[in-house]
Formats: sequence, C-alpha cells, structure tokens
Amino acid sequence: MKRQWAAIILTAALALAGCSGNEAGSDTATATDPSSADTSAAAKEETTTAREASGTEEREPVTLRFSWWGGDERLAATLKVIEQFQEKYPHITVEAEYGSSDGYNDKLATQLAAGTEPDIIQIEPGNMALLASDETNYFLDLKEAGFDFSLFEEDYISQRINGCYGGKQLGIPTGVAGIALVVNQDLAEAVGIDFTQEYTWDDLIEWGKKVREYDDSMYLLCSNKDYLANIVARTYAKQISGSQAIGDDDKIQKMTQEDWKTVYEYVQQLYDNEVVAPAAYMAAYGGDNMQADPNWIEGKYVCCFTWVSLSEIMTAANPSANYIAGNFPVAQSAKSVGFFANTPQVISISSRSEHPQEALLFLDYFFNDEEAMETLGTVRSAPPTKKAREICAKTGSMSPLLADIVNVAASYTGIVDDTISYSQEGRQIMIDQIEALGFSSTTPQQAAEDTYSLYNNLIEVMK
Amino acid sequence: MKKTVHSGVAACKKYSRRDNQAYIYLLPWLAGFLFLQLYPFCSSLYYSFADYQITAKPVWCGFNNYRNLFTKDTEFWNSLWVTIKFTLYTVPGKLALALGIAVFLNRDLKGINLIRTLYYIPSLFGGSVAVAILWKLLFMDRGVVNAFLNTIHIGPIQFWGDPGYALKTICALEIWQFGSSMVMLLAALKNVPRDLYEAAEIDGAGRIRKFVNITFPQITPIIFFNLIMQTIQAMQNFTSAFVITNGGPMKSTYVLGMKLYKEGFTYFRMGSASAISWVIFTIIIVFTLTLFKSSSAWVFYGDED
Repeated sequence: MKRQWAAIILTAALALAGCSGNEAGSDTATATDPSSADTSAAAKEETTTAREASGTEEREPVTLRFSWWGGDERLAATLKVIEQFQEKYPHITVEAEYGSSDGYNDKLATQLAAGTEPDIIQIEPGNMALLASDETNYFLDLKEAGFDFSLFEEDYISQRINGCYGGKQLGIPTGVAGIALVVNQDLAEAVGIDFTQEYTWDDLIEWGKKVREYDDSMYLLCSNKDYLANIVARTYAKQISGSQAIGDDDKIQKMTQEDWKTVYEYVQQLYDNEVVAPAAYMAAYGGDNMQADPNWIEGKYVCCFTWVSLSEIMTAANPSANYIAGNFPVAQSAKSVGFFANTPQVISISSRSEHPQEALLFLDYFFNDEEAMETLGTVRSAPPTKKAREICAKTGSMSPLLADIVNVAASYTGIVDDTISYSQEGRQIMIDQIEALGFSSTTPQQAAEDTYSLYNNLIEVMK
Repeated sequence: MKKTVHSGVAACKKYSRRDNQAYIYLLPWLAGFLFLQLYPFCSSLYYSFADYQITAKPVWCGFNNYRNLFTKDTEFWNSLWVTIKFTLYTVPGKLALALGIAVFLNRDLKGINLIRTLYYIPSLFGGSVAVAILWKLLFMDRGVVNAFLNTIHIGPIQFWGDPGYALKTICALEIWQFGSSMVMLLAALKNVPRDLYEAAEIDGAGRIRKFVNITFPQITPIIFFNLIMQTIQAMQNFTSAFVITNGGPMKSTYVLGMKLYKEGFTYFRMGSASAISWVIFTIIIVFTLTLFKSSSAWVFYGDED
C-alpha cells in the first residue's frame, strides 16, 4: 500500500511539474497582451530607475532570454559580453539561446505566435518586415522606451530596413551591411581584369569570357541561384526600373513584364557565356554555402558577390588568395545604382517581456558600452556606430579588407528592397525562375510572365 | 451464499479502487495523447478550413485552402507526383531488398549473427539528420561515390545537381535503411514450419517452387504490415529532402512534407499547411483501407481454416 501511495505521489508530482511549465508559459502569454504604449512608458521610467539603482542596492534577481543565430566566433563574443554584463549587473542573468540560421525564422515565428519568444531577439531585417505590425505589436518601441540612440546616425536608424516601422524604432541595427564583391586580386590581375574601376554589367559578360579563355576550369563569378536572384537580378532590376519591384506604399508592381524579361535575359547570358558555373554544379552549394564549393577553395573563381557579414567567411575559405573589395557594376542607362547599405540583423525587445527595463539595460550595454564594443568586434558585421568602428580598427578586430568592403557598400545609396518581393516567398519566386533558366527549362519571356503573375498573387495574399 | 455475495462486493470495490489508481498512472500518457496528439489533430482539421497566418488569428474560409491547393498552387501537383514517385521507388525497393537479404541471412553460417547485426546497423540511424548529411557528402561532386566512379572512367555524376538523379539518390538512402523490415522478415522466415519444406521436398519441389508456394504465403502477414508502415512513412518523408537538397534541384525532390513545411514555417500559412497535411492523411487512409480490403485475397494467416 505504501508503495502504491508513493507511486501515486510521484506520478502526481511529475504531472504537476509538466503542468507548471505550461502555467509559466500561459502566464507569459496572458501578460503579453498589454498595449505597447503602456509597456513602453513603464519601461522608460523603469529603465532610468534601473540604471540609477543598478549595482547600488539589492534588487530582485531577473532572468532574461536572448536569442540569436551565428557561427562560433559570434557565439564566443556574445557569451563573453553576457558574462561582462552579468558581472556589472549581478541581479540580472541572461540566458543565451543560440543556434544556426537554418530554421531560426521559422522557430521565431512559432514562438511569437505561441507567446514564448525570448525577451531579447536578433531578427533578420527581411523577416522583421513581416513580423512588425500594429496588429501583432510584438516589439517594444525602443525610442519611446528610452534607449539611448545618441551614438547612432539618425539617417541610418530611421530606415525601415534598419528597424524603424511607422515612426517606431522596433529594432536596433547590429551593423553596417549590404552587398560585397570579394575579388581574388592576383587572379584578376593575371587575367587582366580591374574591379577597382567603374564598369557595367556588360563588362562582366566580356570578362567572364576572358576568364574561360584564360583557363577553362575557371569562372569569373562564384554564384548560386540564391545569390544570382537576391543580388544580381534584384539589383539589375532596380537599376533598369529605378524603383522597387513592388511599391511599399501602394503595393503595386513597379516592374513591367518587359523589365523582368530584360533582367532574365541578362541572367541567361551569364549562364550561356559561362560567366557563372552551371546551375547543376552549383545546386550542391545552395544558400549561404558557397564557401564550401571546392572550386572557390582552390581559387578557381575571380570574384563572388556576397553579403558584408559573410565576406570574411568567403575569404577564410581560401586564405592563400589575396582579396580586395571590388566596385559594383552599374548599367550605363541605370536609373538608380541599385546597391545599398543596410544591416545584417536587428535586435529587438519583445513587447511582452516581463522585464523590459532590464532588457533595455542589456541592449544599452551591448550597443553603447566601450567594453562591449571591444568584445563584440565585428562578429555581427562592421559595427553600427562610428565609435564602435573606431574601437574595432584600433584593436585590429576589423581587418583592412572588411573596412574597405564596408566603405564600398556604404558608398552606394540605391533603393532599399520592398517588403513583399523581399519576403521569403517573394525571394523564392525569383530564385525558382533563375533556377529554371539555369536548367534551360524556361525562357526569359516565360520567366518574366510567371514572375509578374506570381507577384500579383503574392500581393493579394499579403495585402 | 451470503459469503459469496459479500466477497463479490468486496472484489468490486477493490477493482474500482484499483481502476481509479490506474487512471492516475495513465494520466501522463493520457495528457500527452489529448494535448499533443488529439488536440493538434482536431485543430489542424479546423485550421485547414481557415485563413491562418501564424502571426494572426485563424479566420474561417471554407474550402479556400483546398481550392487554392488543387487549382491555383503551382507547386502542389508536382509535390504530390514527387511524393508518389518517392513512395513507388522506396516501398517496393526496400521490401525487395529486405526480403532478399533476409532470405540470404536465414541460414546457418559461421558468424551469421555478426553479419545480421551489420546489415541492421543502417536502420539504427533512423531518419537522422547526421545520416542525411553523410549521404549528401558521399554523393557530392567530389564525394566517395564519384571518386570510385572516376576510377572506372564514369562521371562525375551530379547526383544532387541533376534533377534526374536527385530523387533516386534520396530514395537510395531510404532503401538503404532496410534493417528493421529485414529483421521482421527474418523472424517470419524462421517461423515457417520445417515440415512444410520436408513435405514439398518429398514431392520433388525445387528452391523456387518452395519459396513461391511455401515461404512467400507464410510471410505475407509481415509483408502486409511492412507495406502499410513503409507507405505511411514514405508519404510523410521530409528529413532527407530537407537536409540534402532542400527540395531541389528544379523541385525534383520537393515532396509534400517539404511543401507542408515551407507553407507553414517559412511562409507562415498554417491554414494551407494544415490542408496539405489532411491531403496526405486522406491519401494514406485511402491507400491503407484499399490494402486491407485486398488483404483477404493475398495475405495468409496461419489460423485460417
């Protein structure tokens, strides 16, 4: 009998333990629906008090959750910053929730829907555009909450892509990013190509042919379908049309079918003239995986388009090569330069966080404290503030190459991508068309018609 | 008489009390079943009839999700066809290989237990991500398989880059994990009564005849079970397509599981994703019922007269 009761008590304890986890979750969920204004105002007041009081008096222990994605270097630096912050504010514990970028967006969307998101969240700007709305109200307005933005340039943080939505600063940009053209300079010189001059998209085709003549195991451009779509075709489109693909304000397509046809004809030329490697070959190195291409590692490409935040990963794959930051191609009749600088990520605070003032304290340390700037270095691309960039240059954590890459990216002030065509589904539409061109299973005309019609469907769905 | 009634009542009381205790023991499982299986099952049916963006509340929209899938979606029919092809390649392929190896291992050889274990090892890995990555590396342009083919002057074959090869290579991974079916078939083979073979031998039956007329009918229940389980598994395939090819190239490995995942967790359209899951469920149910109906014609149970 005693044994039976012991078993019953244990079972009940187990069941309750399971339930208590849920209860905590549901508490968070119920506490998460307040109007953002209330939360922000409260946070603003409390942050000031928290800052004043921190370290001077005994405070209730607080635990914050912080989620981000990234590689080992970013992990080590972020964990170190957390440690430093916790030493400074012993009553606050920051729990790290990190992983790879694969599936991060999906997990975050599920957490937001379930009300179980972390307090502090790193978000991809393209994804942020889908998540930030007055209806869902997931993120805290950091300006209203009292975050100190004095080190940030107003022009930079006030861009939508950098976390500013409808006048609300819902995220803080983690760095200066954008497109980068990494050039294997020794090879470029050997072939007789100069990427430091101004040049056009047509020059790329001619240079591509030159590389094949120089060595038929080499290609000019290392690019898979994702990069051809998200960088080459997208920028080319903006240059010829001088506008976003779909207007952010009126949700109307700005590119005509004829424009799309011109874009896809150019992509077709890249494949036909072997400026890029065949689509079938690059299929095994899709997404952000081009650095794994053995031909890149062996220095068989002259250059590659990548993102500033990934440029050092590309160069690290073949450390024996001498890389420089190349200029970007601009069409002769371009209505806009197309290329622009933005941020690789933004960091936000959940509006449902139970400890917004402590979360603000953490972000204040993360972005505005010199010690944190030094520790973080360039693990989230070149830092977003001038002061942090100066510190990185002084400590040597920002290489001269990365500094050049950032300078080139920042010197192009083209049009920022629109929310709809740059959503995951919007990007996929172009990627699919470019893949089909690569496998010769469609024509530029057909691809243009499909893109136009699929974007119309997408506008209907996302309106 | 009185005593019997009394003891009967006591027994009743005792059992009802034990019954109540049993419910407490069952509670963790019941809770798991109700909240983690039954609730998602029912709610997904509701969501399949709703316009449900993961970041907003579901709004009833009737058959819209199904109508869109069948008439407007440019990927659905391709995904369905890819899934059917995947099922048609892997289920018979895996069963045939499992049966062949089981017949081979059903003999008394020296070290047979070690050989059986070796054949079973691939199944221990299950549908794991690690095995999918290993498979991906093996069949890369400069992977082991192409290196071997190169020695006999073939290739390189772009197993992951050529739409004609990608699905077949993923099917090969699935077929390679034949171990659990093999173990079941091996057990079934060992249960075939020896006297049937002896009687057949006396009547002059050869090896093939014995296999067709004795072995195969005797193991049909196990084949039937495997056929159903593997079809269900194949229709729900996701891991290998997701990890190795991400549905490409040219959507040649874009199985319904991938489509469902993309709709739900990449595009956040839970309503549409739920509709896809119910289409998969319906196909599985129809196939299973048809198999059950047909089983009386070809499955032999030993207890039948």
